[in-house]
Amino acid sequence: MTRDELRIVLDVHGGDPGRWPPDARGPAERLIAADAGARADLAAARRLDAMLSRFASPAAEDERSAARVLSKFNGPLPRQKQPFWRIPAALLDWQFAPAWPRLAALAGCALIGFSIGIAGIDRSFAGPEAQITSRDIGAMVFGPELLTGPQP
Amino acid sequence: MDDSDEALMARVAKGDQAAFRLLARRHLPAMVGLARRILGNAAEAEDVAQEAMLRVWTHAPRWQPLAAFKTWLTRVVVNLCLDRKRRAPMVDLEAAGEVADPAPSAGEQAEAAERERMLAAAIQQLPDRQRSAILLTYSEGMSNAQVADILGTTVSAVETLLVRGKQNLRRALGRLIDEGN
Repeated sequence: MTRDELRIVLDVHGGDPGRWPPDARGPAERLIAADAGARADLAAARRLDAMLSRFASPAAEDERSAARVLSKFNGPLPRQKQPFWRIPAALLDWQFAPAWPRLAALAGCALIGFSIGIAGIDRSFAGPEAQITSRDIGAMVFGPELLTGPQP
Repeated sequence: MDDSDEALMARVAKGDQAAFRLLARRHLPAMVGLARRILGNAAEAEDVAQEAMLRVWTHAPRWQPLAAFKTWLTRVVVNLCLDRKRRAPMVDLEAAGEVADPAPSAGEQAEAAERERMLAAAIQQLPDRQRSAILLTYSEGMSNAQVADILGTTVSAVETLLVRGKQNLRRALGRLIDEGN
């Protein structure tokens, strides 16, 4: 292993040999034992590790920020998004309940109207005197006055 | 009662607000901290953390435990942060100013604080994905494979991000690393 390769191992895995890949650990440790420059690289990598760990460690400021965010969740939370496979169940949700009586009444009226139309109840009002003859067609098409009749 | 993240999420999926608040209390400090370090702005970090937790609530019924809850939440937070950085690239004037300010500080504590500010500024100067990879590695103690999962990339790409990110930090910090600790 060269020093450049060691530096890459140190940057990728840090200065703790316990985190180095097993196949790189032996050659790296031999290089460090033999080369003062490699030992300096390891020491520098550990110093950078320590600085970054300290920088990234939890801060009291984060606890205060978290408390502020948490306080915003004390009120009512927004509606949750339901998965698609739960939509039928969502229709039975209590929030839809007030609409069910009205929907049932509307559906009932539609069903009664449809049944009356199908059963032909209105036909009983059509007697023989109400038969349409060919003479009525003119009036139906051209209006109450026939074209052949008196004109104004 | 099982109060693992996954068990709490199952309760949240049924609309249990107490379970949601417990989950939020457990994860918010780490998520706010991660967002603050990626964005370099505490107020924006709070917005991101709030939005992420609201997504937890609204999407809970559709959530599938394919990955650990914390991994999923971290991915949501990182993506929200990267989206914000993409939408409105901002310069953290406070942090940037600290780098240029050569004013000597009195006492060891002030010097340490100065070093922390310089490090924070150097980290903020990194490209977003390099910064995210470094912060996930050091703040969450994640393996490169976990970081790759969160960033939606390969392990070798994460290794490249770490190498380049640390090279950039060394360039920016110079002798500060030698003085380190």
